[in-house]
Amino acid sequence: MARAVGIDLGTTFSLIATMQGGDPVIIPTSEGERLLPSVVAVSKTGERLVGWLAKRQAVTNPENTIFSIKRLMGRKFKDPSVQFDMKKVPYKITEAPNGDCKVVMGGKEYSPPEISAMILQKLKTDAEAYLGEKVTDAVITVPAYFNDSQRQATKDAGAIAGLNVIRIINEPTASSLAYGLDKKKEAIVAVYDLGGGTFDVSVLEMGEGTFQVKSTSGDTHLGGDDFDQRILDWLCDEFKKQAGIDLRQDKMALQRVRDAAEKAKRELSTMQQTEISLPYITADASGPKHMNIVLNRSKMEQLVMELVDRSIGPCRQALQDAGLTPAQINEVLLVGGQTRTPLVQTKVTEFFGQEPKKTVNPDEAVALGAAIQGGVLKGEVREVLLLDVTPLTLGIETLGGVATPLIPRNTTIPTSKSQVFSTAADSQPSVEVHVIQGERPMAGDNKTLGRFILDGILPAPRGMPQIEVAFDIDANGILSVSAKDKGTGREQKITITASSGLSKEEVEKMTRDAEAHAADDTRKKEEIEARNTADNLVYQAEKVMREHGDKVPADLKQQIEGKIAAVRSALQGQDAAYIRRTVQELTETMQKIGASVYQQQPGAPPPGGQAPPGAEGPGPGKGKPDEGTVEGEFREV
Amino acid sequence: MEEDRQEVTAELGAPDAQRYLDNWRRAEADFENYKKRIELERAETARFASTTLILNILPVLDDLDRAFKSIPEKLAHLTWADGIRLIHRKLQATLEAQGVTEIKALGETFDPSIHEAVGQTAGEEGKVIEEAQKGYRLHGRVIRPAFVIVGNGERPERNETESATDSHDSGG
Repeated sequence: MARAVGIDLGTTFSLIATMQGGDPVIIPTSEGERLLPSVVAVSKTGERLVGWLAKRQAVTNPENTIFSIKRLMGRKFKDPSVQFDMKKVPYKITEAPNGDCKVVMGGKEYSPPEISAMILQKLKTDAEAYLGEKVTDAVITVPAYFNDSQRQATKDAGAIAGLNVIRIINEPTASSLAYGLDKKKEAIVAVYDLGGGTFDVSVLEMGEGTFQVKSTSGDTHLGGDDFDQRILDWLCDEFKKQAGIDLRQDKMALQRVRDAAEKAKRELSTMQQTEISLPYITADASGPKHMNIVLNRSKMEQLVMELVDRSIGPCRQALQDAGLTPAQINEVLLVGGQTRTPLVQTKVTEFFGQEPKKTVNPDEAVALGAAIQGGVLKGEVREVLLLDVTPLTLGIETLGGVATPLIPRNTTIPTSKSQVFSTAADSQPSVEVHVIQGERPMAGDNKTLGRFILDGILPAPRGMPQIEVAFDIDANGILSVSAKDKGTGREQKITITASSGLSKEEVEKMTRDAEAHAADDTRKKEEIEARNTADNLVYQAEKVMREHGDKVPADLKQQIEGKIAAVRSALQGQDAAYIRRTVQELTETMQKIGASVYQQQPGAPPPGGQAPPGAEGPGPGKGKPDEGTVEGEFREV
Repeated sequence: MEEDRQEVTAELGAPDAQRYLDNWRRAEADFENYKKRIELERAETARFASTTLILNILPVLDDLDRAFKSIPEKLAHLTWADGIRLIHRKLQATLEAQGVTEIKALGETFDPSIHEAVGQTAGEEGKVIEEAQKGYRLHGRVIRPAFVIVGNGERPERNETESATDSHDSGG
């Protein structure tokens, strides 16, 4: 089954979104825009135009350019609202035999769903091109006040466009989803939606992930366009005062002023003051005239104050209809581009007595929420797949006690990562993998998750052996760490059960336990290693004496034999420190062999099987804490 | 892989396993497609990163265009004016070097994919009679359509020309 899309079929603009990697995203149109004007036209040459193209040619072809079709959806011709709109639109609205209304475009009659379908089809086609796959299933939003026939008309539009409308949802519900409110248990939500041409306010009651519309109100002819018009009028008035010319008579100049007014409005959402600078806006007998007017935020607020105030009445009405007071509202959401204006936010805050939420792009919230609904509906098939993240960085300890991260925090799991390390000393026979969790740069400051040894590394200069350490976290958060000697193929691994799913206390206890056991293990391990080293050293020393004893001075020979006997006797006991001490002495004495042999034979190659392997093995280091640490560490290749 | 799958089938029962496998495949496919799309988008983003900046600079170029359209006769021949013309050309050249090209409008057949009609006037029907503001492309994509006045099929008569046209003609 293909993915579902969410469509905000708006009065002035429409948007389409889909779920991508668990998040809703807007799909841009083929023109590269995120919004599609809800405009359809048939050009003089009989070509059908939708969206931006239709909008751009509207002036040349007003009677064949249909906009605001949403206002006619599912309405009867006799409906007062249709009769009202009829006077305002340049295209023809007619009565169908069944009493519905129809619009005339290019000499043909179309039902409102047919016109809406053209918009939907354009969205669908562009989305298919963008996603590279067929789009069939769609969730389409409608205003909360839409009645059955209006909803049915919307559904019909989807069907005509070749979409399988899996659900029609209310715009405020979609907005709530976009704000993630479905994750809350119970709440009363007010959605304040001030768009380009319409204003809606809805009160929803939410419980167990379902939304119920308690009340809805609004003003079908109040929106951002009115704000622009107020600023435009003011600019024209100001200019007339300054230059004595009425720009309203000059279509081209007016277009420039209109664009500038809209831009000024947007700028004043973030700035305190803006300059409307339109050089050569017009000319008279005395020469060219320039517009250069400063508009500050408080002036703009004066201009639009009445419009913003007009939106508060419906808010009061909606609360009254729901039988609620502002204090009973748990969340207030701002939707629609015009809610970016600070004055709107201030007034809404004042009325509801709380800060509204405005984190989601207000132009896109409805479409994004529709996409989420689509995802949820598809989820019945696709399962709710919750992907967790690792709360803390996971890594290992490397040379000098440094924490080297392998999997950074907030990485989505399941995941795996590997990195190649090497030895820190010549002929280092083993490495210790110390798995740590935490953000601190020094390994000692982080939590130990576990440690293990990979031994059997063939004698080689430091930095030569390649030890691949791999971290793997499965979907349950269980971490496996393995270390593999790429030379010998030897591998060791450890599995650490994740902390997720456990209480904080359990996690802490487990961490403490793990640390305690790790310390015990380290002690045991150190003793065993001391013995192994001693054994190994005695073996090496006897071998040297056998092979090169004749070259060793008699007194040195006697010394070494005495030291070997001392190590042997130490190995009979349990005292690890004593073992280490005798090993140390033997190692030092052994080194004298080399010196005396080379003195006898200058230039001769050093004999094999000399003391160094013993000296460089892990054993001797045990005596000194710092060396003991080095042994278990890695160095990055 | 094949072995793993059989194991899963045995443990979970065929329907579950089939569903999981299907979801897995879907997730993998989603991710593959996502990667491809992101790659494309990244290339696009790099090419069009300057769009916003250019769109904000274009009005300055428009204003210079207008300034020259209405330059008084007695100033037009001053070398000082030539200097400003050079600045104008330099700005144009700088934008061109960034991949910005002008959209042809005047005398062309009105095309809503590159032109935006802001008015109508007497003149050949469907032809661009006047250009109110130049349109531009960036790397071939329309970043701002040309604002044009389109002919309505009426014969141009002296008094029928709109005031808008007058203001522009006054300078040129």
